[in-house]
Parts: sequence; structure tokens; C-alpha cells
Amino acid sequence: MKLESRNSSLHDLFTEESARIQQRFEDSADGKADIRDRTSLIDTVVIALWNGVAAVGGPVDGFCIAALGGYGRRGLFPYSDIDLLFLCEKEGREEFLSKKAIAPLSQSLWDLHLRVSPTTRTLAECGKLHRSNIEFNISLLDCRYICGDEKLYERLRTRVLPGVVIRESENLMQELTGLARQRHQKYGQTIFHLEPNIKDGPGGLRDYQVACWLAQIAELKRSREWKEPAQLLPAPLRADAANAIDFLDAVRCFLHYRQGRDLNVLTYELQREAALRGIGLRAGQSESPNDWMRAYFRQARAILRLTTSFDEVPRAKSFWSRLAGARLSPLSTTDFNVTYGRISLHKPDSVEDANVMFRLFELVGQDDLKLMAETENAVEAALPRIQKWLSTAPDLWMYFRRILALPYAAAALRAMHRVGLLDLLFKEFRAIDSLVIRDYHHRYTVDEHSFVTIENLHSLASKNDGFDRRFRDIRATLEHPDLLYLSLLFHDVGKGMPNESHVEGSLEAVQGVFERLRLDSVSREMVTFLIANHLRMSATLLRRDIFDPEAVHDFAKVVGTVEHLKMLTLFTYADIKAVNPEALTPWKAEMLWQLYAATENYLNRSVDDQRMYLAGEDARELERLIPTGEGAGEADRFRNFLDGFPRRYLLTHSPGEISAHYRMYKRLGHSDADISITKRDQYYELVLATQDRPFLFTKLTGTVASWGMNILKADAYANKNGIALDVVRFADRFHTLDNNPPEIVRLKQQLMAVISGELDVSILMRRKFQPEKRPPKVNVETRIHMDNECSSHSTVVEIVTLDRPGLLYDISSTFAEHGFNIEVGLIDTEGGIATDVFYVTQNGAKLTSARQQELQSELQHRF
Amino acid sequence: MTKVEAIVQPSRFEAVKEVLTELGIGGMTISDVRGHGRQKGHTEVYRGREYTVDLLPKIKIEIVIPDNLVDAAIDAILQSASTGKIGDGKIFVSKVDQAIRIRNQERGVAAL
Repeated sequence: MKLESRNSSLHDLFTEESARIQQRFEDSADGKADIRDRTSLIDTVVIALWNGVAAVGGPVDGFCIAALGGYGRRGLFPYSDIDLLFLCEKEGREEFLSKKAIAPLSQSLWDLHLRVSPTTRTLAECGKLHRSNIEFNISLLDCRYICGDEKLYERLRTRVLPGVVIRESENLMQELTGLARQRHQKYGQTIFHLEPNIKDGPGGLRDYQVACWLAQIAELKRSREWKEPAQLLPAPLRADAANAIDFLDAVRCFLHYRQGRDLNVLTYELQREAALRGIGLRAGQSESPNDWMRAYFRQARAILRLTTSFDEVPRAKSFWSRLAGARLSPLSTTDFNVTYGRISLHKPDSVEDANVMFRLFELVGQDDLKLMAETENAVEAALPRIQKWLSTAPDLWMYFRRILALPYAAAALRAMHRVGLLDLLFKEFRAIDSLVIRDYHHRYTVDEHSFVTIENLHSLASKNDGFDRRFRDIRATLEHPDLLYLSLLFHDVGKGMPNESHVEGSLEAVQGVFERLRLDSVSREMVTFLIANHLRMSATLLRRDIFDPEAVHDFAKVVGTVEHLKMLTLFTYADIKAVNPEALTPWKAEMLWQLYAATENYLNRSVDDQRMYLAGEDARELERLIPTGEGAGEADRFRNFLDGFPRRYLLTHSPGEISAHYRMYKRLGHSDADISITKRDQYYELVLATQDRPFLFTKLTGTVASWGMNILKADAYANKNGIALDVVRFADRFHTLDNNPPEIVRLKQQLMAVISGELDVSILMRRKFQPEKRPPKVNVETRIHMDNECSSHSTVVEIVTLDRPGLLYDISSTFAEHGFNIEVGLIDTEGGIATDVFYVTQNGAKLTSARQQELQSELQHRF
Repeated sequence: MTKVEAIVQPSRFEAVKEVLTELGIGGMTISDVRGHGRQKGHTEVYRGREYTVDLLPKIKIEIVIPDNLVDAAIDAILQSASTGKIGDGKIFVSKVDQAIRIRNQERGVAAL
């Protein structure tokens, strides 16, 4: 009777106090104060009930009540369970205690509508590891005395728990991190969810607790002392983590109060309300939902950084792998140790050297490794030195492009972003740090979206089926993939800028990036093109009929060259796919590829018709290319040089290259031909300017092949006045020119002799040509396709076959022997497959079908 | 109530959606579909390899509307989806017996 009346007054107290606490939260949105006050309130209630029990039934020895879990940490959220431990000294008294204390107390708490999770254990049970209920062992780490036999609690706290934690520390840590990994797996290993679970999701409250528990276990093992876990977290991360926890505490209180239940999913609707009230923000000011979610993702990222330590706990291993021990990975170097996929530094300050710093992230990008927490700290500490190094204007592009090209470049970029290095190198990137595009399509923040685009392209390398395979094949043929990755990294930075159009903003921002990377003008042009047009291909897909030749023609006009097209196609593929994992449906991927194929065909099959003429509307464009400072006579000569060249020539060559070609053209007045040979990255480029004549292309390709060179690409053009300009890229198979640079002069001389007719190319081929002796790596069926429709005055012959030295000589000599003239030739080699397109005429007209058949059988015979 | 299914060119979808919205028809189901009618497929060559474009991309719009809106909706779709070329798509019209809103179990036109 006495207990019941006490319960009634307790109920009133609890109801009033709960209402007061809630009201204070509504006024102040202070989550920390809320959970602290609520914990105190429950303490008051439990103690009062316990006193009532003791008053009715007399003193109870060898028994106490402790708070566990969140309640034990003094962090009880409005609708969280109240975890209570009823601790008995010895076995055999449970029934007596249950009747006398546990049952009446629990019942009274339930009568107050509190969700109690009671656990009754003896001291001995608390000292064991419970593999089937590891959560109990973990909850004991947060236990706190409430009432009852205080000495008993002290024995638990000072002897029993340290004993079990120290003895089972390895098991506890493995179980804890194992559960965390499972939890992360369940949430797709990412903090980026449209409606995140702020308790269990990655970067949520549970991750923070796991980090605290791991730190506490390690500290108990080291010193046998209980310390405040937040103070045991890595010092560089502590302040950010504390802010993040304040934020999440407030948000969780808000979610509980709004939903009246222990629901922790931050739904779309509640995001809007939380933003309006500025929940978790310092001044509690109103924010737009986008900005508020940006704040949320920043806090979640701060918590996620704590999880780096999770992977440093070795996983539970088999007997044999335990026997083998923690071996250093062969990836370890003189600067870095790699163990269990994580990198540590031999000397923490070594990363103050920029070379070591970039090598560290190259290692991440090469093998998808992670940095150990101490490595991340060392990198952060070294940033001021890197900033100093940047002021010396180093060749940053050389370092950065190496990272971009690596198979796990996105992992390296994420790591660089996390420790602040990326933002230090490119302040432009800060504009999109955790920036949210809050709609049902965009899953990731803008910075993460940019990383995912790069990840999408690199992961193509391992795709062997479905539509991905087609895009993989395109990627394998890119000349400058690094520029594509660079464009992807910065294509959306404008979203964080005040510009009306984000594309304009990105183009503006990328100028600073160009300066810092000291990119050449051709690279700048490519990156600018990609960013400026990055929405164009998807717009064409969705707003134009891609089977309409007019739509393809318009799109091709914007794209200009096949290299631009390839880059833009892959850009679009990566960009759509990075909106969310399902955004690039097979339907859209098919449309994208169809548009790519149609435009590629158009660009290759319309070269002959797409010419620049002085008399036409191209005059103004040609005017722009005239070298500055030239006199009127010179300008006329320059116009004559370009008059009638295919547009493709202007699109595939930089103004600098065109100037160089023009100088060669001018020298033709003094000699029959002018030849230049230049060493590029992986190949040589030969340019020949001369008066067009029969067998010219055959002579050129035959001479180059006879020297053992393998032609990779070639463009053959002629202007209106019959001046031929052939550009050939070849690989030096036997390193003849690499090892003997003076041989370049001899190759030029021999080519001059062949062109002038002093030397017979067929004799050269017979004497010097060395065919490939190794069997081909791939089998390619030869396909010859002839088309009399796509060009107005040439027959287009497209040949796809296995590449081999001398192939181009065989093809071009076949044409020449039949009296066919090559108007334009586009030669390409991709992964051992030659794709050669020729615009061929005979006596200035297209080939008749009889001549086409004749050519087809002759070519088939030669292959 | 009537169900109107329109298969249209992807490039005409935005225009169709706009006119339907103007008519007050806000609720619609959109799917990416592939198929062919009389338009059939055709063969293309890409880098010497032939490939058949036998199923062409289209967008399917499904709306269920009160009977008094059917003629206006069909006219609007016809005007906005037509390019005059083969492959512009088709419209299918069928009767709907019942519509039920799952949330509150409203039935009939009120559930649309």
C-alpha cells in the first residue's frame, strides 16, 4: 500500500519532469542537456523505488542496481530503453531477490510506462565472456552505480570488470569491430543515404561508441584504470568528434520527440523540420534543408574518421593464419609499412617531403589501401610544410596525374580529401565539401559524387560483360585519360559557387586549377570542353531523337573530334552512374552507346565532306588562325595552305602544330618535301608535307615499316591545291631511334629518296622489313566495309583487322596498284586491332560496285 | 475512369508531360521501355562490326483519368508527341473498373 502511494507521487513527478525536460529541448534544442537531465530523472525514480522496496522489506545485502548502456553513460534519449543491471553477489539468491526486490521494482517502473530492460547477473557471471551475448559484456563497459550495496558494485568495477576486459581484450575488440563491420555492411558501407539512420548507420552514434569502447579496452589493458573514454580518442579527431556528438545527440532527441518512439531514421520530412529549427546548429538558426544536411554529413564524416581504428583491430583468424602472424605485405617500402591493407610510416615526419607524401597516396591508389590513424595524423601535421612546398611552384601536375591514373584513384582522392590535402592543393574543391543536392535522385554529396565518377571509370577495367564492356573498350583507347579524371574531379565545383549556372562556376574555378597545375593549352582546351559540355550528351539523349541524322549531325558538330566524343561519352557514363547506383539503367546506357556509335560513324564518314574553304562561311574561322604579326602576303599564303583541308585537321591539331605544319609548307618552295620526326611520350610522330602524287602514302608507310616501325595512327590529308600533309605516329619496335637518335636524320633522308623516286619502296620492304615473329595475342576476324553513301564524292572503305607491322603498306599499295587515290586516310590502332578508314576515289569519282568487289577480294587475299 | 497508355519518343516526353500537367493531370507513371512496331529495327556498322538496332528506346506514360478528361488528354498527347515520322509511338485507351488509394483506402475518382 505504501509503495503504491509512493508510485503515484513518483508518476506525477516523472510526468512533470519529463514534460519540463521536453519543453526545455523544444526551447533550446540542447540534446546533451536533455539526455543528461533525463538520466538524472530516471536515477531519482529508481532510487526512490529502491528506497520504497527497502523500507517495506528491510535491508537487502549482497545486491545492487547499476545502469548499463546509454543510461549508464548518462546519455538516455527520450524513448530509449532503460538498461538496468540487478547485481547479486552470489548464486542461489536470485529467487529470493526476485521476489523481494527485482520484481516489485521492475513492475513499478513498467507502471510508470518506462521501457526497462532488466538483467540479473551474479558477480561471477559478469566476470565471464559471453560469446553468445557479447552485447552484455560491452554494456558493462558503461555501467554506473545507482543504489544498493555499494561495496559490491565497487568489486565489480575495480576487480571483476578490469579482469575480464584485460583477459579477453582481444576477443572483445574483435567482436566489437566484427559487429561494426556487419552494421556498416547492412548500410552499404557509406554515410551517404537519403534518409540516414543516425544511430546505427556509418558515421552514426553507434560508431562513436564503438570507438570509445575500443579506446577504453585498450586503456584498461594498459593502466587497469577507468578513464573518460572521450578523452582517450585520438587527439586530432577529438574536438570534431565532440562537436559531431553534440549535433547527433540533439538530432536524436528531436527524432524521438517528433515520432514518440525510439526511431532514429532521419526521414526526408523530418530533415526539413530539423533544418527549419536549426537542430544541432550552434545558434539554433534556421537553415535550408540542403545546408542543414550538409552540416549533418560533415558531422557524420567526423565520426566516420574514428572508425579508421576499427580496421586496426586484427580480425579473428584461423589457427594457421595466427601461426603465420602479422606479416608485412610485399607492398611495404623503405618509407611505408603495409600490414593488413593499412599503411603506416617508418618515420612520421617523412611525409613533410612532398615526394613521400605523394608516394603515400599513390600506394593507396594503386592497391586500395587505407591509412592507419597515426598515418592520417602525421599527414595532417605535415600539411603546413606541403603548403610551403606549393609556394615554390612545383610541377604539381606530374604528381597529381600519376594518382589520377591509378586503378583506385578515387580511394586516394577520398583519403587526400579526408586529411585536408586535396583542399590544400585545390582550394576550389572546398566549395563542394559535403555539399548536398537534396532530391530523391542524388544519393551522394557533391564531393563524393565527383569521387564516384572517377571510381566508375576505373572500375570499367574489370567489366567483362553487359553494356559496361562497350564503355570499357572506349576507355582503353583514350589518349589522355588523366585529363578526363581531372575534368570529373572539378566538373561540379560550380555547384558550391554563387554563379547562376554551375557549369559557368566550374569553368571559372578550374582556371585556378589550370594555373596551379601549369597545364599546357591543349590540355586546358580539353578540360574546358568537357566541363562546358558535360550535360550536353545526356540532354541530347533525352531531348533529341538520336536516330535522327540531323540530331547526330548537330551533336557531332559540337563534339568535333572522335577523341572529344570518347571523352564526353565516358564522362556522361560516369556522371549519370554516380548520381545513384541505379541511375544508369540499361536503357539509358544503350541510348548513350547508340549516340556514341552514330556520332563516331558520322565523324569518321563525313571527313571528306567536312572541308574548310576560303570562299565559304569558314573564311572568318580561318582568319582567326593566321599567325599574329604576319604581313598581308603571308596571311594569303597561310589561307592557301589551309584552303580545302578537312575540318578534322583543324580540330585535331593545336594552333602551335598548325603553325609548325605551315612552316613546313613554306619550305616546300625550296625542296620537294619537308619531313619532321618528333619523339612524344610513347611514340614518334612523323609529319610529311609534299605535293600529292600517286603511291605517296604507300611510299611513306612502306619506308617507315621497312625500318621496323609499327604505325599506330595516321592521318592523310590534302588541301585544295594538292598539297598533302600526312601525320604518322609509330612505335619504335626495336628501339632503333631510341638508342641511336642520329638515325632519325637517316630515316628522313631515306624517306626523301623514296618520295623523289631515287629509291624503290618495294625493294626496301623486301630487303629490310622484318615481320612480327611472335604469334598474335588476339584473334581478329578481318572485316571490310565499303560505303558509297556517306561521302558525296568518295567511297569509304573501312577495314578492321589484326594489326601487324607492314599492314598499312599492304593496304595502301593495294589501293595504289589498282589506281585508286586516297583522298583522306584515318588510321587507328586499339589494343592490337587496326581500324583504318580510307576515302578512296578513282579518276576523281566513287568506285563502281565492280571495282569495289575487286578491291574487296584483293584485300581479303592479302590478309 | 479510363487508363491511357502512351508510348512516345524519349525526345518528346518532356513536351507530353508539360501538356498533361497543364490539363491538370499531375499523376502519371513513367517507364523506360524498348520495342518496335512497324518501325522495325535496322542494322548499323560500328568499327566494322554490324549491330542490329531491333528494339528502339521509347518512354511509356500511363495515366488513369476521369472519363471527361480522356479526349483532351489524347489530343494533347497527339499534338505534343507527333513529329510526323515513323516511330512516333502509339496510344492505348482502356476502361478501369476501380482505383483504390492504399494509404486511406479511398476508392473511385477520389483515389486518382
